[in-house]
Amino acid sequence: MTGDLLQGLLQAIQPASLAATGVGCLLGIVAGMIPGMTISAAMIIVLPLTFVLDPNVSIGLFLGLYAGGMLGGSFSAILLNIPGTPSSAATALDGYPLVARGQAGRALGMAVSASFCGGLFSALCLFLIAPRLADLALQFRSADLFSLVFLGLTIICSFASRSWIKGLLSAVIGLAIVTVGQDPVMGTARFTFRDPNLLSGVHFLTALIGLFAIPQLIENLHGNSPGGAIGLGVPGRPGSPDSPGSPGGRNGTAPAAGAIELRKLLPAFADLRRIRLPVGIGSAVGTFLGILPGAGGPIAAFISYDYAKKATGRGDRFGQGAVEGVAAPEAANNAVTGGALIPMMTLGIPGDPVTAILIGALLAHGLAPGPLLFVERADFAYGLMFSFFWANVFNLLIALAGLRLLVKVVAAPRTLLMPAVAILCVVGAWSLRNSIFDVYVMFGFGLLGLAMKWLDMPVVPLLLALVLGRQLEENLRIALTGSQGDITMFFTSPFSALFLGLSVVSVVWSVVGARRQRAP
Amino acid sequence: MATVLQHGVEYRLAEDGRSTGDASRLSMLLAALLAGFGLFGPPAAAQYPERAIEFVIPFDAGGSADIEGRLLAEEMGAVLGVTLVPVNRPGAGGALAYSYVNDADPDGYTVMWTSTSILTITNLGNVPFGFDALDHIGRVEHQPLVFAVATDSPWSDIDSLAGDCGNRGRPIRIANSGTGSTTHLGALAVMQEVGCEAVHLPIGTRRRNATVLSGEADAMVAPLTGALSLFRAGRLRFLASLGADRNPIIADVPTARELGIDVEFDLFRGLSVPMGTPAEVQARLADAMTRAASSDAFQRLADDLGLTVAPLIMGPFEALLRREDARVRAIIQSADTLTP
Repeated sequence: MTGDLLQGLLQAIQPASLAATGVGCLLGIVAGMIPGMTISAAMIIVLPLTFVLDPNVSIGLFLGLYAGGMLGGSFSAILLNIPGTPSSAATALDGYPLVARGQAGRALGMAVSASFCGGLFSALCLFLIAPRLADLALQFRSADLFSLVFLGLTIICSFASRSWIKGLLSAVIGLAIVTVGQDPVMGTARFTFRDPNLLSGVHFLTALIGLFAIPQLIENLHGNSPGGAIGLGVPGRPGSPDSPGSPGGRNGTAPAAGAIELRKLLPAFADLRRIRLPVGIGSAVGTFLGILPGAGGPIAAFISYDYAKKATGRGDRFGQGAVEGVAAPEAANNAVTGGALIPMMTLGIPGDPVTAILIGALLAHGLAPGPLLFVERADFAYGLMFSFFWANVFNLLIALAGLRLLVKVVAAPRTLLMPAVAILCVVGAWSLRNSIFDVYVMFGFGLLGLAMKWLDMPVVPLLLALVLGRQLEENLRIALTGSQGDITMFFTSPFSALFLGLSVVSVVWSVVGARRQRAP
Repeated sequence: MATVLQHGVEYRLAEDGRSTGDASRLSMLLAALLAGFGLFGPPAAAQYPERAIEFVIPFDAGGSADIEGRLLAEEMGAVLGVTLVPVNRPGAGGALAYSYVNDADPDGYTVMWTSTSILTITNLGNVPFGFDALDHIGRVEHQPLVFAVATDSPWSDIDSLAGDCGNRGRPIRIANSGTGSTTHLGALAVMQEVGCEAVHLPIGTRRRNATVLSGEADAMVAPLTGALSLFRAGRLRFLASLGADRNPIIADVPTARELGIDVEFDLFRGLSVPMGTPAEVQARLADAMTRAASSDAFQRLADDLGLTVAPLIMGPFEALLRREDARVRAIIQSADTLTP
């Protein structure tokens, strides 16, 4: 065992492996920043290259891409209010307002530090307690997953506190949209109007690009300073000011391009202390949800955001540019990466779509991830863990080194930046399934986003419903199919009961909190 | 009628070689045979691949079926001298990709990585055409479905599982990869044969194995390649293979037929093109496919995955498709309903 451990360490610190990991991080960050360009897509692009590389080198490249992509997605969410990946949607909620206040460097610094901590925490879990965690995750049945997703959905309440009707309506629209496509249990077509393009439903990322990017682009049409879009960033974001002009809000009051703070690029000590708790929450939640097959990054990011909001006692600042609101989802989505590697390494079961690709890529090298990997190729298994550790270190170094360049993105002339973003949105929507139909869907969601903004309706509940709706239905119906309609297991299974209990707490907390805010 | 003797195989040709569908298929076969034996490349096909060929993959990027397709495309590109560009068109169990290829120009520049799903999708009516709406180049490999339980489950053979059916206060639950998928049909067929009314859980590929290990499902039907690593690690027990013959990788596992269960379900992958693609082009593709399938790189991947590489081109492949199509239709029709 010690021999394999050492062998693994040596493999991971070979110059070629290290270089591949670094290149992977860089590519991942770039790919993650492009809206619609998923980590999965980036991995597929480099896949043929890895056929000729040594497995240890390939795995470094892939893990770099994985960790880098998670971080890169947040950069565009923070800088442009256009999440590059689904997992980074929660980061935009507070990241973009920080940029609007001229603190792009601070926001990015927080994101990078939190991502590093989250990634490192999950790497430690992977290294120390992977088998035990995987066995725990195996106890989760459909009923438990349903309750977990249900808990995720109750977060809607904390985004709907300004207007319950608008918030819940937004969520219902989302849930209605996810019913389009094949019925998950019967396999029959629902609301497809005999169009095969609708059979697999609306791709979440297509909707995300439309909902976030199109209103953002329209906003930029009639505000030519970088501050033009500010304050209206996320439609109806939580607790956003009732008077449109409060914190750095009104058009024209925002700093001009040159005023954007470039000095404070390294995260300040005071900020780091402030994000201790949110990072802790995000790391734990992210790692754990990463392990559960199918739960994935977006739900981890939103749950962490919500818990950080409740636990830090600064909930009123969330949504207006709180560093805690950037740190929690960032720590979570990078912790998901290590978490998702746990069932892959120990059971050969992918935790998310990216690890599914990783399994395929390793198989192409004749390495089958799963319980046997530690028996047959323990050196490789440990090498993978060390590579994952290095990927997180490179992520931190590359991102910190590149911050100066990155913040300039916000300062770039809008006349260049916005057309580029528009093109990327169309290309991104198209490339998900190589389908022009998805581009129309993306524009359709753009119109929906504009309408919701005009109605001052929060968009986050819609987003959550889109991410979670399908899993909610699938798990509920499969659980009920298995139990033949008996619902007791939702309450007798300890995990399910725990999640349902937390759901009640989450709803009550939001309702009471909202009432207290309105009282004075 | 003219009789042609070629490599010991006797073919009867119609007077007008192109007037009937059968005859044109026959000439395709001939051309393929000749090309396959490397005797000569048909002159028309010499110009054929002039530019990149779109290689449509009906699966999500990154799964083992996708990676296998990509490797085949790469190896075929080496044979044909042009690039085969893999394009993923996932969604609706392959229905989107099949519709796309059905509508594509039959010029040989759209080739599809087909699987058994073409038989399930067409028979379920998810696309408005049958499997024969496309021309089929050939099969590359095949693998059996397996009937698996967790190692810590009380059943060591299908009989004991069937014996427990209905005596446990709840029905037997069998996981599959999705309603109407081949794994679902395989499970339906086996349970029908042993006379057990089971509950079928369409759990999807991602969580299918996990539900068997956790005990949420009592058993599952899965493609061999999807369950092999857990089997080798001793976490899964295979009660039966649904293949036609014993698979050398799992030589100890009996076939359903040996157990007296009249079910046979092999999964295959191969190539298809839009209907009406010129015969010379099809022959050229069949030749490239056969050579790519026997390349070292592809053989190695197939070995690692647990696939049996067995190229089968055009005529015999069409016959196989027709036979399997009837089988799939029979299972779908005999199940009162596909719902759990």
